[in-house]
Amino acid sequence: MSLSEKKQKMLKKIGRYLCTMLLLVAPAAMASFSSQPSNIVEASAANNGNVSSIEGFVSDSLWKSEDNETLVIEPKSKAKTMADLENGNIGVLTGSNHNDHVKNRLPNAELSYFNTLSDMVAALQSRKIDAFASDDPSGRNVMAQHRDIAMLPEMLENLDYAAVFPKSVKGGELCDQFSDFVTSLNENGTLKTLQSKWFDASDLSQKEMMDYTTLPSTNGTLRLGTFQNPPFAFTSANLNAAGYDVEIVALFCEEKGYSLETIDYSLDAILASVINENVDMAVAGFSVTEERKESIHFSTPTYSGGTALLVLDDSYVPAEGDNFFTMIAEGFEKTFIREDRWRLFVSGIITTLIITVLSIIFGTALGFAVFLACRRGNKVANGIARFFVWLVQGMPAVVLIMILYYIVFRSVPIAGEAISIIGFTLIFGSAVFNMLKAGVATVDKGQTEAAFALGYRDSKAFFRIILPQALPHMLPTYRGEITSLIKATAIVGYVAVQDVTKIGDIIRSRTFEPFFPLITVAILYFVLAGILIFIVNRLGRLIDPKRRKKKKLLKGVQQR
Amino acid sequence: MIELIHLQKKYGQQTPLNDVNTVINDGDVISVIGGSGVGKSTLLRCINMIDPPTGGTILFNGVDITAPKYDVTQARRKMGMVFQSFNLFGHLTVIENIMLAQIDILKRSRQEAYDKGVELLKLVGLAGRELSYPDELSGGQKQRVAIARTLAMDPEVILFDEPTSALDPTMVGEVQAVIDKLAKMGKTMMIVTHEMNFAKSVANRIFFMAEGGIYEDGTPEQIFEKPQKELTKRFIFGLKSLDFEIPGPEFDFYAYVNKLDTYCVENCIANATQHHMRLVFEEMLLVLLTSTLEKQSIRVTVDYSDKEKKAEMVFVYGGESFMPADSENALSYSIVSKMTKSLVHHYDEQQGLNTVTIIL
Repeated sequence: MSLSEKKQKMLKKIGRYLCTMLLLVAPAAMASFSSQPSNIVEASAANNGNVSSIEGFVSDSLWKSEDNETLVIEPKSKAKTMADLENGNIGVLTGSNHNDHVKNRLPNAELSYFNTLSDMVAALQSRKIDAFASDDPSGRNVMAQHRDIAMLPEMLENLDYAAVFPKSVKGGELCDQFSDFVTSLNENGTLKTLQSKWFDASDLSQKEMMDYTTLPSTNGTLRLGTFQNPPFAFTSANLNAAGYDVEIVALFCEEKGYSLETIDYSLDAILASVINENVDMAVAGFSVTEERKESIHFSTPTYSGGTALLVLDDSYVPAEGDNFFTMIAEGFEKTFIREDRWRLFVSGIITTLIITVLSIIFGTALGFAVFLACRRGNKVANGIARFFVWLVQGMPAVVLIMILYYIVFRSVPIAGEAISIIGFTLIFGSAVFNMLKAGVATVDKGQTEAAFALGYRDSKAFFRIILPQALPHMLPTYRGEITSLIKATAIVGYVAVQDVTKIGDIIRSRTFEPFFPLITVAILYFVLAGILIFIVNRLGRLIDPKRRKKKKLLKGVQQR
Repeated sequence: MIELIHLQKKYGQQTPLNDVNTVINDGDVISVIGGSGVGKSTLLRCINMIDPPTGGTILFNGVDITAPKYDVTQARRKMGMVFQSFNLFGHLTVIENIMLAQIDILKRSRQEAYDKGVELLKLVGLAGRELSYPDELSGGQKQRVAIARTLAMDPEVILFDEPTSALDPTMVGEVQAVIDKLAKMGKTMMIVTHEMNFAKSVANRIFFMAEGGIYEDGTPEQIFEKPQKELTKRFIFGLKSLDFEIPGPEFDFYAYVNKLDTYCVENCIANATQHHMRLVFEEMLLVLLTSTLEKQSIRVTVDYSDKEKKAEMVFVYGGESFMPADSENALSYSIVSKMTKSLVHHYDEQQGLNTVTIIL
């Protein structure tokens, strides 16, 4: 930590303040901080005598213990060899092939699926799982930040990691170009240099990443898909991609005269986006498997390693002064201050707000338009509207958004943000349509009859008499829908949009520290929803006819 | 002014109006009376096309307003309608209720509409309530605002659909007074009502409706004093005397109370008297039912004389001679005797019938 003492003092203060809050909010969250193992599970006798295998590993430079030689494994420690995990609960990443590796080696183990590495770290630390599988460079990165986590020296599977390309002619050509390039890098030793730079144990934020944003576009633009898999690929503080694989691609672009555009996907979405050619290629430590080869091209491996198992190391003794408060202070510093990560949150807030507000505006307009078309009981219009409402409301928002992104707009070059706005406009529009139907039904039929009897036409009667009475009834539902909407937008990360939730995930994937990012994201949703509701309430007061001032009631009238 | 030719209205299986033919002249004030469900309201709603007729023709000032191409809003602008449930626009103040259609439909200026509104509120006795909202008014006041709203459009004819049925009895008078005033001003009006005294006094013409049409049409004297046709006679007679039989101890008590109440409303019997009649009816039944006469049916006849303000209730039942005063239910009997001016028991030994005549 390259912080001045003054800063550290300040952080400790903040940490103490947050600590009291934490104790009130969620005692469970403390588990994620308690790096000191609490020996909940008594290990079997088989744990004895496995010291050597760990010692072999701790002699690795990654281990930060002051004195490797005297490290003593307590008998009560958790799993230390693969055999100990035979009946254990092992975490794997959804969309990776680690589950197969675990099943091959540990057929009786129970599998738990997670979406990010940081989720698995948190699960391991809170002892929800006994171990988790990870690519070895990623595992080393985890260990660099968590001194209580150790990697089993025995690999589950030896693997090659490579870039992936769509199985098209264009993809094949690019794949060949890239493979040649990787081979040349290997021969001239650049790969080794890059490996030692990215895969050592030092903090990723300290590493220099070449700036690819200024690459000239002499031969066109290369669209690169990534997901959060440090140190292969991750989002750096300036919201650009960084990492071992990304740097290789950047060097490749530099040589071939491409400019580089990066898009960050979730793990379970990235392969689909490659297959659909939403991107020209993707990197982030993809392991080469036969099954995957059927649907995508793999380049020459950029790295040969394997799948490792990471376990809690109970022998870890916190360093002096490493108490609860400093843990919090460190967590705070990592989440917000380091690399100016608070800027990430700001950009996430803006994205979430844009998607939500535009969806509200367009959705309200859409709902109104459809309602007006259906109001007179036109059977065709009603049938179509009912079908779409049924369709949109019948499936989870995340499925709808993914269908739009990967199927409906598959061949249209359109950003995830736009897809999200389209999807949530449909969702919100359906809600507004139903809300209008219910709201207008609350206005007594006699009101329409009275308007007709006075000589009003249908549409004018609706706008002058029915709607103004229906709107105040709808306001509470509308507020509820807005709150639901802003929360529902949390899924846009699936289509490569970096909203508040996704930013939280990105930061967690760097810090492996769930508390601050998650709590911050939760608070941000409360605040954003609060602001929107405040605005809607203000508007609601404007449209409530009974809140008008006397002066306005008698505008343009001389009282005699 | 309005001519109805073979007018017909069907709702699925029901045909409330089947072949209605009549002419409504300028200046007519017509009361539409008849039993429940004979299509009185339907007739009014057909005339201003809120429920368009399923057959026949309506000529309004010589124009066929049922023709498919005719713009019915044109006709509605000249026909006012006052509803049973008032239907004031809840989001607008009283004055705005009256101004809105003037501005939107008749394109009057806000000032004109306001002045007209103030003038009409004075007419219906609600000056000073301009800025109240409808939910701050009593039922009678709401109905008077509704009348003012209709008048503001300068209609050629006003249709009243049971204007006082939804009102508390204490407020019926104020609304009837306003309608009466309009009748005296020479407005053409059609009023569907259950209040027979009002129907008689306000109108110069009565439509008695039955059998899916206007069964008998005449002046109030003709209809109420000398009805010509059978159903009219029965209806008018039925108005004057209520007669029903209670089969035994198992009966729908509230249905009979309702009959009694309806009778009271149609005859404009004062509230207090109505209350007394109901009390006597209830307590007498208790007296008779708790006695040895349980298994007997009871015939009840109610008569009310408007001139003398006198109500007579007769209870006839079989079995042995039984005086209500002998009842074990002394409490009920004491209530009955307090309510009544006289209570006479008579026993016909030949037929084995008890007759109790009560005068309130």
